[in-house]
Amino acid sequence: MSTLALPRRSEIIRAHQAHGGRIAAVLPIHYPRALLRAFDILPVEVWGPPRIDPSPGAAHLQPYVCSLVRNALAFLLAGELDVADVVIVPHTCDSLQGFASILVDFIQPKQPVLPIYLPRGNRPSDLEFLANEFRALYRALAAITHCTPADAELLASNAREEHADDLLAELHRRRNELAMTQLELYRLIRSREYLPAEMFIEIVGATLHGYSAQGDHPGSPRQNVPIILSGIVPEPMVIFDALAEMRAVVIADDLASCGRRLYPRGTSADPFVRMAERILNAPPDSTRGGAIPERLEHLARLVATTNAKGIVFYDVKFCEPELFYLPTLRQGLQARHIPSTVIEFDLNDAFSQQARTRVEAFIEMLG
Amino acid sequence: MTDIRALGIDVGSTTVKIVGVDAAGNLAWHLLEPAEPRVEDQVTRLLDIADREKSSDAKIPLVATGYGRGLVLQATRRVTEITCHARGVYRELRHGGTLVDIGGQDSKVIAIDPQGDVLDFAMNDKCAAGTGRFIENTARRMHVPLEQMGPVALATTAEVLISSTCTVFAESEVISLVAHGAAVEAILRGLHRSLIKRIVAMIRTVGLVSPLMLSGGVAQNPAIRKMLEEETGAPVILPQHPQLMGAYGAALMGL
Ligand code: SF4
Repeated sequence: MSTLALPRRSEIIRAHQAHGGRIAAVLPIHYPRALLRAFDILPVEVWGPPRIDPSPGAAHLQPYVCSLVRNALAFLLAGELDVADVVIVPHTCDSLQGFASILVDFIQPKQPVLPIYLPRGNRPSDLEFLANEFRALYRALAAITHCTPADAELLASNAREEHADDLLAELHRRRNELAMTQLELYRLIRSREYLPAEMFIEIVGATLHGYSAQGDHPGSPRQNVPIILSGIVPEPMVIFDALAEMRAVVIADDLASCGRRLYPRGTSADPFVRMAERILNAPPDSTRGGAIPERLEHLARLVATTNAKGIVFYDVKFCEPELFYLPTLRQGLQARHIPSTVIEFDLNDAFSQQARTRVEAFIEMLG
Repeated sequence: MTDIRALGIDVGSTTVKIVGVDAAGNLAWHLLEPAEPRVEDQVTRLLDIADREKSSDAKIPLVATGYGRGLVLQATRRVTEITCHARGVYRELRHGGTLVDIGGQDSKVIAIDPQGDVLDFAMNDKCAAGTGRFIENTARRMHVPLEQMGPVALATTAEVLISSTCTVFAESEVISLVAHGAAVEAILRGLHRSLIKRIVAMIRTVGLVSPLMLSGGVAQNPAIRKMLEEETGAPVILPQHPQLMGAYGAALMGL
């Protein structure tokens, strides 16, 4: 099937509401999907969205807050999140924490706003802390929905999400076998941001099954310069078409919205601990306090296993968790002879001529 | 009539350059004009001139580079100015090093290895303060001809510190300095210093490998060369036609 036929967010939201389900607007990046689904709440992620009028949001925020948060606030103020029954704000960074405070203290939207605090590490105490955060979220959702799903239901929901994430990982791994463009591939990967797991499983399962033949096709790294794309979110998505025109192919990614959410299966019989394990054992992420040596190792391993020739850090302007560590991270990459370049963008920008020249020059350098 | 085997065209924000190379890769012919608003028409006209100039009727490759490379519909290939400047300068100077290209709208620092390949680069494409536009704007404000900016700045040893890091604010700072009676020469010297300090910060991110080489229109400004040497302690070398290096590199890629 063609990924271009993916259902739209609005259709999915309407269909879910039609059978009595609720909607959660979820801000980036990590949260327990399985927990929400156990309450029949469909998480629909809000990555900005890009290219909207940001001015209503900008009025409440300092100029150095990233465009993702600015746009999200403008979106909410324009009533575009009214469809949601609850807003979930993970404590990804100071900007998002500030966003949650502004909502709770000043704007007070019609829906409840539930923050999730994420630990900055992966020690046993972090696991316990996160599991407790999810227990608190469970209690808050129970108060809103008047439902109290049992452990067995939580574990079943978890199993469904794990299955969907297994397929997501397979999609990442087998990207070169698929007869689809990079843009189509990333639309499919990013459909995890709003599709219910069962629908994602069906669509991705069919895609992987349908395109298992080997051979040359649009995404083949044999004809192109293989690179790794890092950063938060690949917007505007035309960047994938631009890369294809430059004869570059994203052979793997370290994007917070994509490759950093390849959650492995959990092992615990306790549903809350299992959900927490999955997030803490995901690839290292600056927003979860991933240390530089750990991120460096991860990137070097990605480069080595995929034969990527370099890394493009495609970062949102003013994204503090990403940009703060970038110079040291790049120094480490340079010491390992892994070339990299940095492009900063605002969610309301088109893919500019300047950005194109930078990426193109980098590809020429690698090629 | 000239023996031209490949053409390179560099469509920049302030000027358009076209270069023809012979079979050995020598710069055989060139034209340089201020950029016109209708780029496609200008390119077509320049290509007609090149067509009349070349000695054979055979169709030859045309490689486009520069900010407007996408608008050169006749191009057989498009390559970024980073790769082209590196190629042109390496062919002319025959060694690697660190190339600084200060253009009208952006500036770049390119590390070139001993084989002529680009090793790394840094670009300032967001802020006019590190580009030729910074000097152009002030020249207009101070009523000093652009080509005199460097010599005037070098005519004194006194120097006024320009603290604004933004072109717009620097302009107001300059006006205020003039109003307070600061000497034009010292202001211009300070202004050049401020631009050079930005370039040096970019050089540091790439890592300085001697010698420093300069290309782009601003390379003709003697104060830029002198201050770059002062700030880095490295000798600065210029190709014969610094402004043509992008187009020259593009033409070489067509061979
Ligand atoms: S882009 Fe960066 S700063 Fe903005 S919300 Fe995401 S993590 Fe936070």
